[in-house]
Amino acid sequence: MRTRVTGGRVFDPANGIIDQVRDVVIEDGRIIADPGPGGSEEVVNASGCIVLAGGIDLHSHIAGGKVNLGRLLMNEDRALFPEPFGDFCGCGGGRAAPTTHATGCRYSQMGYTAVFEPAVVGANARHAHLEMADIPNIDTGGFLVLGNDDFLLRLIAMGEGQQAINDYVAWMLKATQSCAIKIVNPGGINAFKFNGRNLDLDEAGPFYELTPRRILNTLQRAVTELGVPHPIHLHGCNLGIPGNVKTTLATMGATEGFPLHLTHIQFHSYGTEGDRHFSSGAAEIAEAVNAMPHISVDVGQIMFGQTVTASADLMSQYRNHNIADPKKWIGMDIEMDAACGVVPFNYRDTSFVNALQWAIGLELFLLIEDPWRVYLTTDHPNGGPFTSYPHLIRLLMDKPFRDHHLRQIHKAARSHTRLESISREYTLEEIAVVTRAAPARTLGLKDRGHLGPGARADVVLYEDQPDRETMFAHPRIVMKDGEVVVVNGEIVALTEGRTYAVHPPSDPLMDKRLERWFDEAVGLKSSHYQIADGEIRGGQGPEIVELKP
Amino acid sequence: MSSGETTEAGAPRIVRDVVCGFCGLGCDDIEVAVAGRVVTPRKACADAARLLARGDAPAPSPRVNGAPASFAEAASAAAVHLKAARSSVFSGLGADLEGHRRLYDIAMVAGASIDHSASGGLFANLDRLARRGWIAATLAEVRNRCDLLVVFGDDPAASFGRLFERIMPVRKGEGGDAAPLFAPSGRRVVMIGTPFSDASRKALAGHELSEILLPPEQVATAAALLASALAGRDIGAVDVLPGTAGASLAELADLLRAARYSVFTWNAATLPQADAAAVAGSASEAVDLLSPTTRAAVLPLGGRDNVTGAHQLALWRFGYPLRTAIGAGTARHAPDLYATAAALKDGDLLLHASAFRPDPPPEFSAGPVIALAHPDTSFAREPDVFIPVGTPGVDHPGHVFRMDSVVCLPLQGLRSAELPSLAEAASAILANFGRGA
Repeated sequence: MRTRVTGGRVFDPANGIIDQVRDVVIEDGRIIADPGPGGSEEVVNASGCIVLAGGIDLHSHIAGGKVNLGRLLMNEDRALFPEPFGDFCGCGGGRAAPTTHATGCRYSQMGYTAVFEPAVVGANARHAHLEMADIPNIDTGGFLVLGNDDFLLRLIAMGEGQQAINDYVAWMLKATQSCAIKIVNPGGINAFKFNGRNLDLDEAGPFYELTPRRILNTLQRAVTELGVPHPIHLHGCNLGIPGNVKTTLATMGATEGFPLHLTHIQFHSYGTEGDRHFSSGAAEIAEAVNAMPHISVDVGQIMFGQTVTASADLMSQYRNHNIADPKKWIGMDIEMDAACGVVPFNYRDTSFVNALQWAIGLELFLLIEDPWRVYLTTDHPNGGPFTSYPHLIRLLMDKPFRDHHLRQIHKAARSHTRLESISREYTLEEIAVVTRAAPARTLGLKDRGHLGPGARADVVLYEDQPDRETMFAHPRIVMKDGEVVVVNGEIVALTEGRTYAVHPPSDPLMDKRLERWFDEAVGLKSSHYQIADGEIRGGQGPEIVELKP
Repeated sequence: MSSGETTEAGAPRIVRDVVCGFCGLGCDDIEVAVAGRVVTPRKACADAARLLARGDAPAPSPRVNGAPASFAEAASAAAVHLKAARSSVFSGLGADLEGHRRLYDIAMVAGASIDHSASGGLFANLDRLARRGWIAATLAEVRNRCDLLVVFGDDPAASFGRLFERIMPVRKGEGGDAAPLFAPSGRRVVMIGTPFSDASRKALAGHELSEILLPPEQVATAAALLASALAGRDIGAVDVLPGTAGASLAELADLLRAARYSVFTWNAATLPQADAAAVAGSASEAVDLLSPTTRAAVLPLGGRDNVTGAHQLALWRFGYPLRTAIGAGTARHAPDLYATAAALKDGDLLLHASAFRPDPPPEFSAGPVIALAHPDTSFAREPDVFIPVGTPGVDHPGHVFRMDSVVCLPLQGLRSAELPSLAEAASAILANFGRGA
């Protein structure tokens, strides 16, 4: 069956097609070169619409143990936002920590078709995959958290060569069926287990006496040499601490030429200027990003309102637990792999700090020039629920709208941000880059994020409207693999997604080594830690992302 | 994972590294011999050996109203009852995650409340965890870091036979990978409640053991006093506990302050019901009080018959823990109403699911009983529908959560699956609602 999407204005920046009225032709779930008229075709009228590839969120905490702990703490949020009744209700709900079914439906209703869970802890990977399999209408993948795992830190501390590190990283990626490596507070989570409370980039941590810089560089080299498409996805040192802009700049300069992705950089762009000793470091960060083509970032924009923060960074979450709202929080040290901390937050525009955080995120979006190196995220749910994306898109595209909101935030925060002086408005092309083309490219997903022949037929039609928030909240049509799943912002079908993984090869000797490690240190068989292909999505198996040569 | 294969009797196949899904500790080094239908445990704790062992009896047939029926007839009869019921109660929930998923699917289309037979301890702990939170540690963290373990209540080895061997090993040799990697080989273990059993003393040989012996009803008081001492209050003179218990707790508080990574553990299921939540609260409070200067964590014990998996799945599917009523597009969490005993007072149908062990359903006479249960289950009242199901990890593969709710383990089938899995039975029922599996 062939489908022709006709009459829409196509924005496909990956293929250099910007605002051209042309047809998109779909066959068997993929986009094909237009064979011209003739044959039986279903025609989808896209006139009045812009046509984009399916949205890709490369950093959103949607599955796994910490999300479930978030759900446990956010029972009021769950009760306030039940799933709508109807044929496609999953008896779930929630906005800050939505249930799996609600997660898939809400993303799909905004035109997203792929979402990546950026913090899979190895020991909890099987759980994360079981949850991801329960999320309809979107494809998923997980980033494995390394950099605080005792096996790795021992390897580095014992002076093992890079080959051993590479074999271990490859083994772990395959064992946990993940598609990239994330580092959360390199060495810091581990240090907290030894009662360390801070760890800066060049400070040696307890026990292993390794600096975060060394851990970062070692893993950067590993993913590069293994050919993992996405560079190290780094949640850096000193999250949330005023003055951390210095650490973040030093981190960017510490990459030894390897590419690096800095995630939720908003939380890492704080200065100490002003009478409140909290200021925006966005300009310095943006300047550095602009000057360093090997750096990419996602913002982690904060949005005002109730949410919950869920992070592997227990060192930072312990520091923040006193400002939990409501007053409850959960921490956990996890299985020689990492940790987690789950702390509810209520970001208020009447709070100086929260208001400035909001402005810092927007400054970063607007001051970083190359949209191919900045991805649209709120670090869901840490900065705010992903359902706020249409609002965020309007803030970026609509200067008067942004100024209107700026006038409502804490007065002192307003005088600490240069936001009002920034006139830039994102174009539709730039939105297509930051929500589609760029994340697909960095993740190595060659058949996603664009509308060229061979691409997966994830196609979204948004009716062109001056109110960009309404426009991006209610697509006219969303197609997943060629199947219409959303019409006028409402779910009309549920479909199963797929899970992306990379499987770099590793030396079989690493199997033996890890067998002993798991037997003796962990107390679990390595064979039971490893997730078989058949365990992914009830036997469907993973979709393997090609390694870079 | 390998499912069981047919083996000639008399030539047993040895299966090593079998994962155990029964108590929640998740041991995965069990060894069994399999010959045809016969499963003979070779290396397992007493509970696992009893629950894994299988004789040569063929799989019994499903029954409808006591009479043998085909699988399809039984599934269809179950669906008829479920469609007629207005207030179904799903209890037991002793199943792998695959079974839970299908049971929850039925609840979504037919309407039902869900609760697990082992959720009592879980809810005592949730009283603290969901309302205030805590800092916890997983088994491998305790195994490698804990230098001072405080146990509240009964010796947990009675319910979790190999707990101490798993979490407090004595280091064998120096260097290498042997746990504990970050704690002295000889560690300190303090029981507050009953004495150590002989088996536990043996498992903990090499560690420094001490006991603060108290009757069960005073354990919660002791836990509260310990937290008070950590808060800086002088409890030495508080005269609520017998003998020298108060002074011993004050000494323990000093040891805890000096410890590098202390861990508090309890089994909420065996503490006096009225006190379990208070013990969880005091233990978590103790961790909070220690954390500004040193590290500490709780290790709540539990997880029988994959109650942890049932809880996790309910959270990610419905956004609420167990004891929730599902159906008509909504989920309503009301623990007081939907705990099995309370739900049955208003229920008009009982679906009892128990794949791990032959536990009978709770007493119920106000409507039909559907049992998706272990073939050896003996019923006080013949269920209206009985579909004998296989055991995950014996008859078929599956997934279960370990007690620490982080590690999810793959179970393997050990012998040819003559019995349907609970997931298959539930899917067959669901098919009668016009919903595919």
